[in-house]
Amino acid sequence: MENTTIVETHSLTKRYGSGVLAVNSVDMSVRRGEVYGFLGPNGAGKTTTLRMLVGLIRPTTGTATVAGHAPGSPAGLARIGALIESPGFYPYLSGRENLRVVADMASVSQKRVDEVLDLVELTSRAGRKFGTYSTGMKQRLGVAGALLKDPDLLILDEPSNGLDPQGMAEMRKLIKDIAQGGRTVLLSSHLLGEVEQICDRVGVISGGRLVIQSTVQELLGEKGVVVRAQPSDRAGEVLTRMFGPEAVVREDGFFHLKTDPGQSMEINRQLMASGIGVSELRPFERSLEEVFFQLTGEKQGS
Amino acid sequence: MIATIKAEWRKTRSRPAFLVSSGIIAAITALIYALTWYQATHPGSGDRSGVSLLTLYPDQFVNNVMGAGFPLGAAIAIVLGALVAGSEYSWGTLKTTLTQGPGRLTTWFGRVLAFEAWMGILTVILFVVGAASSVVVASFQGHVIAWPALVDLAKGFGTIWLVFAVNGAIGLALGTLIRNSAAALGTGLIYVLVVEIILVRFIDSLSNGAYKWIGNLFVNQNATALTQSFHSAAFGPSLAPSIGAEQAVLVLFAYFAGLVIIAAALIRQRDVT
Repeated sequence: MENTTIVETHSLTKRYGSGVLAVNSVDMSVRRGEVYGFLGPNGAGKTTTLRMLVGLIRPTTGTATVAGHAPGSPAGLARIGALIESPGFYPYLSGRENLRVVADMASVSQKRVDEVLDLVELTSRAGRKFGTYSTGMKQRLGVAGALLKDPDLLILDEPSNGLDPQGMAEMRKLIKDIAQGGRTVLLSSHLLGEVEQICDRVGVISGGRLVIQSTVQELLGEKGVVVRAQPSDRAGEVLTRMFGPEAVVREDGFFHLKTDPGQSMEINRQLMASGIGVSELRPFERSLEEVFFQLTGEKQGS
Repeated sequence: MIATIKAEWRKTRSRPAFLVSSGIIAAITALIYALTWYQATHPGSGDRSGVSLLTLYPDQFVNNVMGAGFPLGAAIAIVLGALVAGSEYSWGTLKTTLTQGPGRLTTWFGRVLAFEAWMGILTVILFVVGAASSVVVASFQGHVIAWPALVDLAKGFGTIWLVFAVNGAIGLALGTLIRNSAAALGTGLIYVLVVEIILVRFIDSLSNGAYKWIGNLFVNQNATALTQSFHSAAFGPSLAPSIGAEQAVLVLFAYFAGLVIIAAALIRQRDVT
């Protein structure tokens, strides 16, 4: 387990008082070297889970192992860099001075401060007070702070929060660059596009429960082809003959075919040869958004 | 622990609140000297026209700065303590600190040590400005410059530091308990400047003073007694404090230790949300 898994939780649960069940029996595993997306709507329990992983919150029940140690243990924290929720820095200190405070706290060489400032492209503005930073600069300084220890595991909680599209793109690039060094990144987000673009595997949490954990490809499912053709009964017969009844789903006047979109030309040829008129034929791929709404039971566009 | 103290010191030394409060302590000490000097040299200029110039000379400066140290310096210490502990929650810096690795208690005690070092610096500022002001008065009045005995200087320094430390610990504990600096400093100041005084008066009035011993356990009753123990004939006659200096020191130390330990327990046990 030590070699392949860097985060492992068993029945991790957090209940506040006797009421709110914020996190409900989460079994989660993050493999070394991957970018793991922790997806969920606001209030789903993402931040509470991450806070438990770094020892800021104690679980009510359940266990977790992070970087081979119990959450919050000095030995474990020495190998973890974390940006939980919003970056927490002193507004009256400059960006550089804030990182120096963190470096002292983490017993990291002061030389490392300039390295991480360079990595997040904040060197030119490192002398300005943190309180004067834009949201994007604050987030990047937060990432720099998390990188100070050159950690095995980087935990980033909604790093794109409050960023404009340009800032989000920059943040995505930064995370991709960080992950290229073989470092494990555990990224929580409610931005599906961000997760789809960056992550190898995802865990979806809803109402405090981890509803699924798999690779992005598995989650999106097989690709397919959508066909609208007339007369539809005869079209159904032809398509069933071609792909078998399990691979053909009829819905709202469309046929959803579980097959490689590369088959489109052959499908069109067969239907035409049978005298069937094809009015629509296109490849089909579920978006992470569709999967997400299906899994979390949330209504799209609500 | 060393790393934590280093980090705490790095952020504390640039904190505007500390720089401003250092300026306030210095300015008010100088102002008290200036006003008292005016009153002493202009008989009939006010209620305290009977004040003696002798109290303003260097040999009396330790006794004299006690008045600036308590309650003004104590109030400043409460404000600073509440700001230091409470702002860690409002700025979200506590979570940054606690995810670095030193451990919750190490972080807390490192913070307390750095804070108390600042209280020591505020005490030094108070003493330096008091001494400098007394030299200025003595020079203008043509009085010989003689300093208090080293032991009196050390006792006075220790007294003010202890008073600042205890009141700072009240602010630190309230900031940790309430997790908000504004509410903590408001609560601390109201307690020390209003609530405690009302409570002590009430307790002292019960059964012809039968419960006065309870009133004598309150923190600033002891701080008052300790600072008032620095007295000399130059200041004229005064009532002997009802609490002895040794008892006051013990009670204040107990308060300091108790407050720091209670806050440490809160830091250790509570979730950081």
